Amino acid sequence: MFERMKRKTIAVPLALIAIAALFLIAGSFYGLAVAPAEVHMGDVQRIMYVHVPTAWTSMLVLTWAFICAFTFLFTGKWKWDSRLEAAVQMSIILSFLLCMQGSIWAKPTWGVWWDWDPRLTTMAVLLMAFAGISALRHFVEDPLKRATWSAVATVIGYVDVPIVYFSVKWWNSLHQQQSTVSTISRDFLIPLFINFAGMLLLVSAIMTIRTRTAARRLEDEIVPPSLLVQEAIA
Amino acid sequence: MSGILSGGWNFVVAAYALTAFILGGYAIHVVREIRR
Repeated sequence: MFERMKRKTIAVPLALIAIAALFLIAGSFYGLAVAPAEVHMGDVQRIMYVHVPTAWTSMLVLTWAFICAFTFLFTGKWKWDSRLEAAVQMSIILSFLLCMQGSIWAKPTWGVWWDWDPRLTTMAVLLMAFAGISALRHFVEDPLKRATWSAVATVIGYVDVPIVYFSVKWWNSLHQQQSTVSTISRDFLIPLFINFAGMLLLVSAIMTIRTRTAARRLEDEIVPPSLLVQEAIA
Repeated sequence: MSGILSGGWNFVVAAYALTAFILGGYAIHVVREIRR
């Protein structure tokens, strides 16, 4: 039995986007103009105030995609497929952004735009895997097959996430290991956390809207035409 | 300017501009998509 989903407004997510923008402006201002230059790396280190929050947010979104896929496979509820669609797309955006920011960082610090280092390579593999899942969703027309196959592919693709995280510990990597809060100056932590809060809010709001778009499309695909006619008459 | 690396502001500006362009652009795309 299908139920017509309520058409919710997007006022709340739009308000969240506005709040997120304020956080990001404040965090970026602090990172660019208030925080001091790092002793060894100089001003280039300021890239970290966007790169690290992007990395944290992408790991959370990828984990959310895994949760959505896993829950869909076990419950079969369509709302998890809509959430998965939004999460997969956001994962691609954030992974791509992460690679680009890393590349911009690599040039002045390592002397190259790209290196087949374990962290960068495993991250590129993750980006390709999720791009493949998105392509799969685009080409499979049957909603059930699309949802099931992409959920299975997401669960498999997620295996790369812990490999990305631990790659800097497991292998000899150009990429530095994760720092801890206790080893970072307060002046560096403030813009990092403000930008992280802003990015998390922004991404959550975007995914909320994207989930609703996916749910509407799915609704048009799976709701029997007779039900639509009945509703139109009523 | 300080630190071992000289300059670097061009890379910093590029990273921030790219982040704003990609996240801002995607947010606009998603909002337009649902309003269509």
